Amino acid sequence: MSALSLLDALPWLVAVWLFAVGLYGIATSRHCVHLVGCLTVCQSATYVLLLGIGYVRGAGPPVFYDHPPGTPAVDPVVQALVLTDIVVGAAVSALLLALAIQVQKRRGTLDPQALRPLRPPPSSLE
Amino acid sequence: MTPRQRLVLLGLAALVLMPAVMRIALALPAFGAPEAELGQAMNALVPGLRHVTNMVAAVNFDLRGIDTLGEEGMLLCAVTGTTVLLRGARGESGRERAGHLPGRPVTPRADATVLVCRIAATLTLLFGLSVALHGMTTPGGGFQGGVIVASGLLLLYLGEGYEGWRALIPPPVLAVLEGGGAVLFVLCAGLPLLAGHPALQNLLPLGEPKDLYSGGLMVVVNAAVALSVTGSFGLLLVEFLEETREPADDPVPEDTLPEDPLPDEAER
Amino acid sequence: MTGLVAALLLLTALSGLLVVLARDPRRQVFALSGNGLVLGLLFLALQAPDVALSEIAVGTAITPLLFLATLAAIAMDRAKR
Repeated sequence: MSALSLLDALPWLVAVWLFAVGLYGIATSRHCVHLVGCLTVCQSATYVLLLGIGYVRGAGPPVFYDHPPGTPAVDPVVQALVLTDIVVGAAVSALLLALAIQVQKRRGTLDPQALRPLRPPPSSLE
Repeated sequence: MTPRQRLVLLGLAALVLMPAVMRIALALPAFGAPEAELGQAMNALVPGLRHVTNMVAAVNFDLRGIDTLGEEGMLLCAVTGTTVLLRGARGESGRERAGHLPGRPVTPRADATVLVCRIAATLTLLFGLSVALHGMTTPGGGFQGGVIVASGLLLLYLGEGYEGWRALIPPPVLAVLEGGGAVLFVLCAGLPLLAGHPALQNLLPLGEPKDLYSGGLMVVVNAAVALSVTGSFGLLLVEFLEETREPADDPVPEDTLPEDPLPDEAER
Repeated sequence: MTGLVAALLLLTALSGLLVVLARDPRRQVFALSGNGLVLGLLFLALQAPDVALSEIAVGTAITPLLFLATLAAIAMDRAKR
Protein backbone atom coordinates (compact mmCIF):
# COMPACT_ATOMS: atom_id res chain seq x y z
CA MET A 1 0.00 0.00 0.00
CA SER A 2 2.77 2.38 0.93
CA ALA A 3 4.71 1.67 -2.27
CA LEU A 4 1.56 2.14 -4.32
CA SER A 5 0.70 5.47 -2.73
CA LEU A 6 4.28 6.60 -3.27
CA LEU A 7 3.92 5.79 -6.97
CA ASP A 8 0.59 7.62 -7.10
CA ALA A 9 2.31 10.64 -5.62
CA LEU A 10 5.26 10.58 -8.01
CA PRO A 11 4.32 13.80 -9.89
CA TRP A 12 3.93 15.73 -6.63
CA LEU A 13 7.27 14.42 -5.40
CA VAL A 14 8.92 15.40 -8.69
CA ALA A 15 7.41 18.88 -8.35
CA VAL A 16 8.74 19.18 -4.79
CA TRP A 17 12.13 17.93 -5.96
CA LEU A 18 12.33 20.45 -8.81
CA PHE A 19 11.38 23.33 -6.53
CA ALA A 20 13.87 22.27 -3.84
CA VAL A 21 16.68 21.77 -6.35
CA GLY A 22 15.99 25.17 -7.93
CA LEU A 23 15.99 26.80 -4.50
CA TYR A 24 19.30 25.11 -3.66
CA GLY A 25 20.73 26.45 -6.92
CA ILE A 26 19.52 29.98 -6.14
CA ALA A 27 20.98 29.89 -2.64
CA THR A 28 24.40 28.65 -3.76
CA SER A 29 24.67 30.43 -7.12
CA ARG A 30 27.81 32.44 -7.81
CA HIS A 31 26.64 33.93 -11.12
CA CYS A 32 23.48 35.96 -11.75
CA VAL A 33 22.74 34.31 -15.10
CA HIS A 34 23.04 30.87 -13.50
CA LEU A 35 20.63 32.11 -10.85
CA VAL A 36 17.99 32.98 -13.47
CA GLY A 37 18.38 29.46 -14.91
CA CYS A 38 17.74 27.98 -11.47
CA LEU A 39 14.64 30.15 -11.18
CA THR A 40 13.24 28.62 -14.37
CA VAL A 41 13.69 25.18 -12.77
CA CYS A 42 11.60 26.40 -9.82
CA GLN A 43 8.96 27.56 -12.30
CA SER A 44 8.89 24.21 -14.04
CA ALA A 45 7.90 22.64 -10.69
CA THR A 46 4.59 24.51 -10.87
CA TYR A 47 3.98 23.27 -14.42
CA VAL A 48 4.51 19.65 -13.39
CA LEU A 49 2.29 20.05 -10.32
CA LEU A 50 -0.59 21.72 -12.18
CA LEU A 51 -0.60 19.39 -15.19
CA GLY A 52 -0.29 16.39 -12.85
CA ILE A 53 -3.36 17.53 -10.92
CA GLY A 54 -5.40 17.82 -14.11
CA TYR A 55 -4.38 14.45 -15.59
CA VAL A 56 -7.09 11.79 -15.88
CA ARG A 57 -5.95 8.22 -16.44
CA GLY A 58 -6.86 6.90 -19.87
CA ALA A 59 -8.36 10.21 -21.04
CA GLY A 60 -7.41 12.15 -24.15
CA PRO A 61 -6.50 15.81 -24.68
CA PRO A 62 -9.29 18.39 -24.16
CA VAL A 63 -9.64 18.94 -27.91
CA PHE A 64 -12.79 17.54 -29.49
CA TYR A 65 -11.88 17.82 -33.14
CA ASP A 66 -11.41 14.13 -33.95
CA HIS A 67 -13.27 12.77 -30.93
CA PRO A 68 -16.89 13.79 -30.39
CA PRO A 69 -17.58 15.91 -27.30
CA GLY A 70 -18.18 13.60 -24.37
CA THR A 71 -15.10 11.40 -24.77
CA PRO A 72 -13.08 11.40 -21.54
CA ALA A 73 -10.60 14.28 -21.52
CA VAL A 74 -8.15 15.78 -19.06
CA ASP A 75 -8.78 19.05 -17.19
CA PRO A 76 -8.48 22.07 -19.54
CA VAL A 77 -8.39 24.71 -16.79
CA VAL A 78 -4.95 23.83 -15.44
CA GLN A 79 -3.62 23.54 -18.98
CA ALA A 80 -4.77 27.09 -19.72
CA LEU A 81 -3.05 28.30 -16.54
CA VAL A 82 0.23 26.60 -17.44
CA LEU A 83 0.06 27.79 -21.05
CA THR A 84 -0.09 31.47 -20.15
CA ASP A 85 2.42 30.97 -17.35
CA ILE A 86 5.07 29.57 -19.70
CA VAL A 87 4.86 32.54 -22.05
CA VAL A 88 4.76 35.17 -19.31
CA GLY A 89 7.49 33.35 -17.36
CA ALA A 90 9.82 33.55 -20.35
CA ALA A 91 9.23 37.32 -20.57
CA VAL A 92 9.96 37.69 -16.84
CA SER A 93 13.19 35.69 -17.26
CA ALA A 94 14.13 38.12 -20.03
CA LEU A 95 13.55 41.02 -17.62
CA LEU A 96 15.86 39.38 -15.06
CA LEU A 97 18.51 38.78 -17.71
CA ALA A 98 18.31 42.45 -18.71
CA LEU A 99 18.89 43.34 -15.05
CA ALA A 100 21.91 41.00 -15.03
CA ILE A 101 23.37 42.81 -18.06
CA GLN A 102 22.90 46.14 -16.29
CA VAL A 103 24.57 44.81 -13.12
CA GLN A 104 27.55 43.70 -15.20
CA LYS A 105 27.77 47.08 -16.93
CA ARG A 106 27.53 49.13 -13.74
CA ARG A 107 29.44 46.96 -11.29
CA GLY A 108 31.68 44.81 -13.46
CA THR A 109 30.78 41.61 -11.60
CA LEU A 110 27.96 39.11 -11.59
CA ASP A 111 28.73 37.26 -8.38
CA PRO A 112 25.83 37.91 -5.99
CA GLN A 113 28.29 37.49 -3.13
CA ALA A 114 30.44 40.38 -4.39
CA LEU A 115 27.52 42.76 -4.90
CA ARG A 116 26.86 45.17 -2.05
CA PRO A 117 23.66 47.18 -1.95
CA LEU A 118 23.36 50.96 -1.82
CA ARG A 119 26.86 52.07 -2.54
CA PRO A 120 28.01 54.20 -5.50
CA PRO A 121 29.66 52.13 -8.23
CA PRO A 122 33.40 51.59 -7.59
CA SER A 123 34.30 53.41 -10.82
CA SER A 124 33.03 56.77 -9.51
CA LEU A 125 34.81 56.52 -6.14
CA GLU A 126 38.34 57.26 -7.34
CA MET B 1 26.02 36.13 4.99
CA THR B 2 28.60 33.66 3.74
CA PRO B 3 27.56 30.94 1.29
CA ARG B 4 28.09 28.36 4.03
CA GLN B 5 25.67 30.10 6.41
CA ARG B 6 23.14 30.39 3.62
CA LEU B 7 23.40 26.67 2.88
CA VAL B 8 22.94 25.80 6.57
CA LEU B 9 19.87 28.06 6.71
CA LEU B 10 18.44 26.42 3.60
CA GLY B 11 19.09 22.96 5.06
CA LEU B 12 17.34 23.89 8.30
CA ALA B 13 14.34 25.28 6.40
CA ALA B 14 14.16 22.12 4.30
CA LEU B 15 14.34 19.95 7.43
CA VAL B 16 11.48 21.85 9.04
CA LEU B 17 9.29 21.98 5.92
CA MET B 18 9.93 18.47 4.56
CA PRO B 19 7.50 16.54 6.84
CA ALA B 20 4.68 18.97 6.03
CA VAL B 21 5.44 18.84 2.31
CA MET B 22 5.57 15.04 2.31
CA ARG B 23 2.29 14.84 4.16
CA ILE B 24 0.60 17.14 1.64
CA ALA B 25 2.13 15.27 -1.31
CA LEU B 26 0.82 11.94 -0.04
CA ALA B 27 -2.59 13.39 0.85
CA LEU B 28 -3.26 14.88 -2.61
CA PRO B 29 -5.64 12.88 -4.80
CA ALA B 30 -3.86 10.01 -6.54
CA PHE B 31 -2.25 10.84 -9.88
CA GLY B 32 -4.71 10.21 -12.71
CA ALA B 33 -7.85 10.38 -10.58
CA PRO B 34 -8.54 14.09 -9.93
CA GLU B 35 -11.45 15.24 -7.82
CA ALA B 36 -11.93 18.68 -9.40
CA GLU B 37 -15.28 19.04 -11.16
CA LEU B 38 -14.84 22.35 -12.96
CA GLY B 39 -12.71 21.09 -15.83
CA GLN B 40 -14.95 18.12 -16.53
CA ALA B 41 -18.02 20.36 -16.46
CA MET B 42 -16.35 22.63 -19.00
CA ASN B 43 -15.45 19.66 -21.20
CA ALA B 44 -19.10 18.58 -21.16
CA LEU B 45 -20.76 21.98 -21.67
CA VAL B 46 -18.48 24.31 -23.63
CA PRO B 47 -18.56 22.60 -27.06
CA GLY B 48 -22.31 23.17 -27.14
CA LEU B 49 -22.28 26.62 -25.57
CA ARG B 50 -19.41 28.21 -27.53
CA HIS B 51 -19.13 26.07 -30.70
CA VAL B 52 -15.37 25.54 -30.29
CA THR B 53 -13.49 22.26 -30.12
CA ASN B 54 -10.33 23.36 -28.28
CA MET B 55 -11.26 23.63 -24.61
CA VAL B 56 -7.95 25.18 -23.58
CA ALA B 57 -8.49 28.10 -25.96
CA ALA B 58 -12.06 28.48 -24.70
CA VAL B 59 -10.84 28.68 -21.10
CA ASN B 60 -8.10 31.13 -22.00
CA PHE B 61 -10.01 33.50 -24.22
CA ASP B 62 -13.57 33.33 -22.96
CA LEU B 63 -14.38 31.56 -19.69
CA ARG B 64 -11.35 32.91 -17.83
CA GLY B 65 -10.63 35.75 -20.23
CA ILE B 66 -10.10 38.36 -17.51
CA ASP B 67 -7.32 36.16 -16.13
CA THR B 68 -5.65 36.16 -19.52
CA LEU B 69 -6.06 39.94 -19.68
CA GLY B 70 -4.03 40.12 -16.47
CA GLU B 71 -1.36 37.83 -17.91
CA GLU B 72 -1.30 40.00 -21.01
CA GLY B 73 -0.67 43.01 -18.80
CA MET B 74 2.20 41.20 -17.09
CA LEU B 75 3.70 40.32 -20.47
CA LEU B 76 3.43 43.95 -21.56
CA CYS B 77 5.05 45.18 -18.32
CA ALA B 78 7.89 42.65 -18.47
CA VAL B 79 8.71 43.42 -22.09
CA THR B 80 8.45 47.18 -21.57
CA GLY B 81 10.73 46.94 -18.55
CA THR B 82 13.29 44.88 -20.46
CA THR B 83 13.24 47.27 -23.41
CA VAL B 84 13.61 50.35 -21.21
CA LEU B 85 16.46 48.78 -19.21
CA LEU B 86 18.43 47.69 -22.24
CA ARG B 87 17.70 50.57 -24.57
CA GLY B 88 18.10 53.22 -21.89
CA ALA B 89 21.65 52.15 -21.12
CA ARG B 90 22.61 51.69 -24.75
CA GLY B 91 21.42 54.73 -26.65
CA GLU B 92 19.38 54.59 -29.82
CA SER B 93 22.08 54.66 -32.48
CA GLY B 94 21.77 51.64 -34.75
CA ARG B 95 25.23 50.35 -35.57
CA GLU B 96 24.87 47.60 -38.10
CA ARG B 97 27.89 45.48 -37.25
CA ALA B 98 27.90 42.52 -34.92
CA GLY B 99 30.32 42.67 -32.05
CA HIS B 100 33.40 40.50 -31.88
CA LEU B 101 35.41 39.20 -28.96
CA PRO B 102 39.16 39.64 -29.40
CA GLY B 103 40.87 36.32 -29.98
CA ARG B 104 37.74 34.48 -31.10
CA PRO B 105 38.01 33.11 -34.68
CA VAL B 106 35.27 34.16 -37.09
CA THR B 107 33.93 31.27 -39.16
CA PRO B 108 32.10 32.36 -42.30
CA ARG B 109 28.58 31.04 -42.69
CA ALA B 110 28.27 28.14 -45.15
CA ASP B 111 25.91 28.59 -48.11
CA ALA B 112 24.10 25.42 -47.10
CA THR B 113 23.33 26.91 -43.67
CA VAL B 114 21.88 30.04 -45.25
CA LEU B 115 19.71 28.02 -47.63
CA VAL B 116 18.45 25.59 -44.98
CA CYS B 117 17.71 28.46 -42.59
CA ARG B 118 15.79 30.39 -45.25
CA ILE B 119 13.64 27.35 -46.07
CA ALA B 120 13.14 26.35 -42.43
CA ALA B 121 12.39 29.93 -41.35
CA THR B 122 9.71 30.30 -44.03
CA LEU B 123 8.12 27.02 -43.02
CA THR B 124 8.30 27.88 -39.30
CA LEU B 125 6.72 31.31 -39.85
CA LEU B 126 3.90 29.75 -41.89
CA PHE B 127 3.45 27.02 -39.26
CA GLY B 128 3.24 29.64 -36.52
CA LEU B 129 0.62 31.55 -38.48
CA SER B 130 -1.39 28.38 -39.02
CA VAL B 131 -1.15 27.40 -35.34
CA ALA B 132 -2.33 30.87 -34.32
CA LEU B 133 -5.26 30.85 -36.78
CA HIS B 134 -6.50 27.36 -35.87
CA GLY B 135 -6.53 28.04 -32.14
CA MET B 136 -10.25 27.46 -31.77
CA THR B 137 -10.33 24.05 -33.44
CA THR B 138 -7.03 22.21 -32.93
CA PRO B 139 -4.21 22.59 -30.37
CA GLY B 140 -2.75 26.05 -30.83
CA GLY B 141 -3.77 29.66 -30.45
CA GLY B 142 -2.28 33.07 -30.03
CA PHE B 143 0.28 32.23 -27.35
CA GLN B 144 1.75 29.21 -29.14
CA GLY B 145 1.54 30.77 -32.61
CA GLY B 146 3.27 33.91 -31.35
CA VAL B 147 6.21 32.08 -29.81
CA ILE B 148 6.57 29.81 -32.87
CA VAL B 149 6.74 32.88 -35.13
CA ALA B 150 9.38 34.33 -32.79
CA SER B 151 11.45 31.15 -33.02
CA GLY B 152 11.15 31.45 -36.83
CA LEU B 153 12.71 34.91 -36.49
CA LEU B 154 15.56 33.21 -34.65
CA LEU B 155 16.15 30.91 -37.61
CA LEU B 156 16.35 34.02 -39.81
CA TYR B 157 19.04 35.36 -37.46
CA LEU B 158 20.94 32.09 -37.71
CA GLY B 159 20.87 32.21 -41.50
CA GLU B 160 21.38 35.91 -42.22
CA GLY B 161 23.66 36.97 -39.40
CA TYR B 162 23.20 40.09 -37.30
CA GLU B 163 23.43 42.68 -40.08
CA GLY B 164 20.99 41.03 -42.46
CA TRP B 165 18.63 40.25 -39.64
CA ARG B 166 18.50 43.81 -38.37
CA ALA B 167 17.71 45.04 -41.87
CA LEU B 168 14.76 42.63 -42.04
CA ILE B 169 13.18 43.32 -38.67
CA PRO B 170 12.04 46.84 -37.76
CA PRO B 171 11.60 47.25 -33.96
CA PRO B 172 8.92 49.99 -34.25
CA VAL B 173 6.65 47.55 -36.13
CA LEU B 174 7.13 44.96 -33.38
CA ALA B 175 6.38 47.55 -30.70
CA VAL B 176 3.19 48.56 -32.52
CA LEU B 177 2.17 44.88 -32.82
CA GLU B 178 2.73 44.37 -29.11
CA GLY B 179 0.87 47.45 -27.94
CA GLY B 180 -1.84 47.11 -30.58
CA GLY B 181 -2.57 43.55 -29.52
CA ALA B 182 -2.91 44.61 -25.90
CA VAL B 183 -5.22 47.53 -26.87
CA LEU B 184 -7.37 45.18 -28.97
CA PHE B 185 -7.69 42.83 -25.99
CA VAL B 186 -8.72 45.69 -23.69
CA LEU B 187 -11.28 46.84 -26.29
CA CYS B 188 -12.70 43.30 -26.49
CA ALA B 189 -13.08 43.33 -22.71
CA GLY B 190 -14.32 46.91 -22.43
CA LEU B 191 -16.77 47.42 -25.31
CA PRO B 192 -19.34 44.94 -23.92
CA LEU B 193 -19.14 46.88 -20.62
CA LEU B 194 -20.15 50.09 -22.42
CA ALA B 195 -23.13 48.27 -23.92
CA GLY B 196 -24.24 47.19 -20.45
CA HIS B 197 -23.03 43.57 -20.59
CA PRO B 198 -20.39 41.81 -18.47
CA ALA B 199 -16.79 42.28 -19.63
CA LEU B 200 -15.73 39.98 -22.49
CA GLN B 201 -19.37 38.99 -23.10
CA ASN B 202 -19.41 36.93 -26.27
CA LEU B 203 -21.72 39.06 -28.42
CA LEU B 204 -20.53 38.08 -31.89
CA PRO B 205 -22.20 35.25 -33.83
CA LEU B 206 -20.64 31.98 -32.68
CA GLY B 207 -20.13 30.36 -36.09
CA GLU B 208 -19.92 26.66 -36.85
CA PRO B 209 -17.82 24.22 -34.75
CA LYS B 210 -14.60 23.01 -36.47
CA ASP B 211 -14.67 26.11 -38.67
CA LEU B 212 -11.84 28.66 -38.89
CA TYR B 213 -14.35 31.19 -37.59
CA SER B 214 -15.88 29.61 -34.52
CA GLY B 215 -16.31 30.95 -31.03
CA GLY B 216 -17.35 34.54 -31.85
CA LEU B 217 -15.40 37.08 -29.83
CA MET B 218 -12.77 34.45 -29.01
CA VAL B 219 -11.41 34.74 -32.56
CA VAL B 220 -10.75 38.46 -32.04
CA VAL B 221 -9.20 37.91 -28.61
CA ASN B 222 -7.04 35.13 -30.05
CA ALA B 223 -5.83 37.44 -32.81
CA ALA B 224 -5.06 40.16 -30.25
CA VAL B 225 -3.01 37.72 -28.16
CA ALA B 226 -1.20 36.41 -31.25
CA LEU B 227 -0.21 39.96 -32.31
CA SER B 228 0.87 40.87 -28.82
CA VAL B 229 2.96 37.73 -28.19
CA THR B 230 4.63 37.96 -31.60
CA GLY B 231 5.48 41.60 -31.01
CA SER B 232 6.67 40.99 -27.46
CA PHE B 233 9.03 38.14 -28.23
CA GLY B 234 10.26 39.71 -31.44
CA LEU B 235 11.07 42.88 -29.50
CA LEU B 236 12.82 40.89 -26.77
CA LEU B 237 14.98 39.12 -29.36
CA VAL B 238 15.85 42.41 -31.10
CA GLU B 239 16.76 44.13 -27.84
CA PHE B 240 18.91 41.27 -26.55
CA LEU B 241 20.71 40.76 -29.85
CA GLU B 242 21.37 44.50 -30.10
CA GLU B 243 23.36 44.08 -26.90
CA THR B 244 25.77 41.89 -28.89
CA ARG B 245 26.47 44.44 -31.62
CA GLU B 246 29.74 46.34 -31.89
CA PRO B 247 29.82 48.71 -28.92
CA ALA B 248 32.41 51.28 -30.04
CA ASP B 249 31.58 55.04 -29.93
CA ASP B 250 27.99 54.51 -28.96
CA PRO B 251 26.67 57.79 -27.59
CA VAL B 252 25.56 57.08 -24.02
CA PRO B 253 22.62 59.22 -22.82
CA GLU B 254 23.76 62.10 -20.64
CA ASP B 255 22.21 61.11 -17.34
CA THR B 256 23.76 57.64 -17.24
CA LEU B 257 27.34 58.93 -17.48
CA PRO B 258 29.20 58.71 -14.16
CA GLU B 259 30.56 62.02 -12.76
CA ASP B 260 34.16 61.13 -13.49
CA PRO B 261 34.82 59.34 -16.75
CA LEU B 262 35.97 55.75 -16.31
CA PRO B 263 39.77 55.50 -16.50
CA ASP B 264 39.74 53.13 -19.44
CA GLU B 265 37.24 55.32 -21.28
CA ALA B 266 39.51 58.33 -20.88
CA GLU B 267 42.39 56.63 -22.60
CA ARG B 268 40.32 55.40 -25.53
CA MET C 1 0.16 5.18 -14.19
CA THR C 2 1.71 4.47 -17.54
CA GLY C 3 5.40 3.71 -17.64
CA LEU C 4 6.00 6.47 -20.19
CA VAL C 5 4.73 9.22 -17.90
CA ALA C 6 6.73 7.82 -14.96
CA ALA C 7 9.91 7.64 -17.03
CA LEU C 8 9.44 11.19 -18.32
CA LEU C 9 8.78 12.47 -14.79
CA LEU C 10 12.04 10.93 -13.58
CA LEU C 11 13.84 12.35 -16.62
CA THR C 12 12.40 15.80 -15.78
CA ALA C 13 13.71 15.52 -12.22
CA LEU C 14 17.14 14.53 -13.56
CA SER C 15 17.32 17.31 -16.17
CA GLY C 16 16.23 19.90 -13.61
CA LEU C 17 19.08 18.73 -11.37
CA LEU C 18 21.52 19.02 -14.28
CA VAL C 19 20.45 22.63 -14.93
CA VAL C 20 21.25 23.53 -11.34
CA LEU C 21 24.53 21.60 -11.21
CA ALA C 22 25.87 23.10 -14.45
CA ARG C 23 27.72 25.93 -12.72
CA ASP C 24 29.24 27.39 -15.87
CA PRO C 25 26.41 29.49 -17.38
CA ARG C 26 27.48 28.59 -20.91
CA ARG C 27 26.97 24.90 -20.17
CA GLN C 28 23.82 25.64 -18.26
CA VAL C 29 22.23 27.05 -21.41
CA PHE C 30 22.38 23.64 -23.05
CA ALA C 31 21.14 21.88 -19.92
CA LEU C 32 18.26 24.38 -19.89
CA SER C 33 17.44 23.63 -23.51
CA GLY C 34 17.42 19.88 -22.77
CA ASN C 35 15.21 20.49 -19.76
CA GLY C 36 12.78 22.40 -21.98
CA LEU C 37 12.63 19.53 -24.45
CA VAL C 38 12.02 16.93 -21.72
CA LEU C 39 9.29 19.13 -20.21
CA GLY C 40 7.67 19.47 -23.63
CA LEU C 41 7.63 15.69 -24.11
CA LEU C 42 6.23 15.23 -20.58
CA PHE C 43 3.41 17.67 -21.34
CA LEU C 44 2.67 15.76 -24.53
CA ALA C 45 2.47 12.52 -22.52
CA LEU C 46 0.16 14.26 -20.02
CA GLN C 47 -2.28 14.95 -22.89
CA ALA C 48 -1.55 18.68 -23.05
CA PRO C 49 -0.62 19.38 -26.69
CA ASP C 50 -1.29 23.12 -26.35
CA VAL C 51 1.14 23.46 -23.47
CA ALA C 52 3.71 21.21 -25.15
CA LEU C 53 3.73 23.43 -28.26
CA SER C 54 4.47 26.57 -26.32
CA GLU C 55 6.98 24.88 -23.98
CA ILE C 56 8.95 23.45 -26.91
CA ALA C 57 9.08 26.82 -28.69
CA VAL C 58 9.85 28.82 -25.54
CA GLY C 59 11.92 26.32 -23.58
CA THR C 60 14.17 24.95 -26.31
CA ALA C 61 14.58 27.95 -28.60
CA ILE C 62 13.73 31.36 -27.20
CA THR C 63 14.86 31.19 -23.56
CA PRO C 64 18.24 29.58 -24.37
CA LEU C 65 18.86 32.20 -27.04
CA LEU C 66 18.10 35.02 -24.59
CA PHE C 67 20.59 33.42 -22.18
CA LEU C 68 23.21 33.13 -24.93
CA ALA C 69 22.71 36.75 -25.99
CA THR C 70 23.05 37.82 -22.35
CA LEU C 71 26.29 35.85 -21.99
CA ALA C 72 27.61 37.38 -25.23
CA ALA C 73 26.80 40.89 -23.98
CA ILE C 74 28.51 40.15 -20.65
CA ALA C 75 31.58 38.70 -22.36
CA MET C 76 31.87 41.80 -24.56
CA ASP C 77 31.54 44.04 -21.54
CA ARG C 78 34.30 42.08 -19.78
CA ALA C 79 36.55 42.29 -22.84
CA LYS C 80 36.07 46.08 -22.87
CA ARG C 81 37.18 46.47 -19.24
